[in-house]
Amino acid sequence: MNKLAIISAFLGGVKNRYMVYEPERILAKKFELAAKIDGVAGLELCYPADFEDLSLLKSLLADHGLGVSAINVRSRRSGKWWRGSFTSANSRERGEVVDDFKIALDAAAELSVDRISTCPLNEGHDYVFEMDYLKAYDYAEETFSAICTHNPAIRVCIEYKWNDPRTRCFFASAGETLSFCQAVGKPNLGVALDFGHSIQTGERPAQAAAMLARDNRLFYVHLNDNDRNFDWDLMPGAMHFWEFIEFFYYLRILGYTDDWYAYDVMSKEMDTVETFKTVVEVTRKLESLTDRIDRDRMDDLLTDRDPSQTIRYLYRSLL
Amino acid sequence: MKKWKFSVNAGFLGKRQDRFTQYRPDRPLEDKIRLAAQIDGVEGVELKYPQDFDDAKLTQSLLDGHGLICSAVNVDIKDAAFFRFGALSNNDPAKRRRAVRLLQEGLDLAAEMNIGLVSTCPLADGYDYPFQIDYSDAWGYFIESIKAAASYRRDVKLALEFQPHEPHARILLSNVGILLHVLDEVTMNNVGANLDIGHSFAALETPAESITLLARKERLFYLHTNDNTGDGGDWDMISGSVHFWHWLELLLTLDRVGYNGWLGADINPKHMSADQAFAANNRMIRKMIELLDRIGTDKLVEMVRENGNSGQIYDYLGKHLMS
Repeated sequence: MNKLAIISAFLGGVKNRYMVYEPERILAKKFELAAKIDGVAGLELCYPADFEDLSLLKSLLADHGLGVSAINVRSRRSGKWWRGSFTSANSRERGEVVDDFKIALDAAAELSVDRISTCPLNEGHDYVFEMDYLKAYDYAEETFSAICTHNPAIRVCIEYKWNDPRTRCFFASAGETLSFCQAVGKPNLGVALDFGHSIQTGERPAQAAAMLARDNRLFYVHLNDNDRNFDWDLMPGAMHFWEFIEFFYYLRILGYTDDWYAYDVMSKEMDTVETFKTVVEVTRKLESLTDRIDRDRMDDLLTDRDPSQTIRYLYRSLL
Repeated sequence: MKKWKFSVNAGFLGKRQDRFTQYRPDRPLEDKIRLAAQIDGVEGVELKYPQDFDDAKLTQSLLDGHGLICSAVNVDIKDAAFFRFGALSNNDPAKRRRAVRLLQEGLDLAAEMNIGLVSTCPLADGYDYPFQIDYSDAWGYFIESIKAAASYRRDVKLALEFQPHEPHARILLSNVGILLHVLDEVTMNNVGANLDIGHSFAALETPAESITLLARKERLFYLHTNDNTGDGGDWDMISGSVHFWHWLELLLTLDRVGYNGWLGADINPKHMSADQAFAANNRMIRKMIELLDRIGTDKLVEMVRENGNSGQIYDYLGKHLMS
């Protein structure tokens, strides 16, 4: 069974461009909240925010008995790398992001964490003719290659997303990202599949997972939901119930079963702890519903490809 | 083609941030107004109530000092400290009264300043999840609150701005059809629309059609110019940078319906300097107006009124714009 983690930033301040729902919380407070949520076994830590004092971080992890699912390296920073870092036209900025990743990789090794995840949100463009796409791909290949070479024992995951904060992010879909990873050719470069990002970009998450796993690059999974219009980071299953069932079914077939799920769910107007308690309960419920699907029966149904029979079977067995 | 006056929304000259990044620090009001006055072709500035009116006399003297007119008083009714669960549609009557009172204060202010126009975008009134709110209660409160605000004084116009989503997955006042419905329910001729072109694209509308629908009721009071990718986000991009043909069509339509209000602007400068982003927006719009004048709008309208003419229209546009 996969263990459950929360991305630490989602236990902190909650804001968007219009409103502030929760003020920022200090790291110790984030740990305190996480420890109150039954079923949560760890955090996805954010670099650099959570790493200002490494010994404090270590003692918080030990005191609360929490694990680390991954270290999330934030490449969008207020005041720098505004036009991207991995794909920046400025070689100094590309060097900076590689150097910064090396620090994060070393911190991961020190904490015995074997996974770095990054969502290159600020790579991309708002306007046509803003970015030289050909050069950007070359630059991204160089920087990710250098990052992956620093410590081949740590997996580096690219989390793709359609848009926000750019009107078009550079890595928008599972296909684009997988193709990029294959072009770089490092075995420790792979993909973090965020369920909500996959939905927003128009994918069937189960299909995206299958495609990534066939090339051994389904490295990590984030759970949340949205209405496809935007990345709202809603509670899993609030919108795409059946897509979640299919996704969990495939993760079991693909062997993503002894790993971590990490949540990026925005509690917004709701209480943060109560939100994640619900999220945990809903995840386990969706998993147990998925377990009611008989593998052999589903194999037959998938061979027949007759949705009139499949949907009947699903409604009869699950509800 | 008519000539319209340009205004900028001062909020976009200050702090810019999204959930991820802060792009620009805030500027004091005086700096915002000074910057607005420096932008090519700008005669007006849209200010926010209550934030920009701590000292209304000072605000007025800053405007006078820079030769600017306040194009609209934009009343902010989305402060999460009070309106976490809605403003005009909140279950709590005290919260609704607070939102209505803010609008009424804005109407008084607009009257004192001889502007005659208040704008508001009720973004706190929305929801994320199925089963989150009682739509019947919420809409009842919403209409009641608009009536209470607008009936307070009928000599000032109240322009409602719809937006399909953000910060909630769904906003109550989400598209032109719902807005038209609200106008019918409220039945006060001082309640109308501030049509934000980017919101109209985000709501999957054709803005020229939305303009027409509102103008038919004489309720198109104000405009926010900008553009959007049309795939959900509200990016506040430079007008015409995505929907060039739609922009030509909507400018032609504004001329045809005799719109005589401001061309306000919500442009997110983000990585650009704010004055350059707004100046580019205004130049793009002026250029598009110039192109329409060059084409000869009478001939274009004549062609539009014939069925099955799209091929000829694009030939005509291509010949006159691209040669």
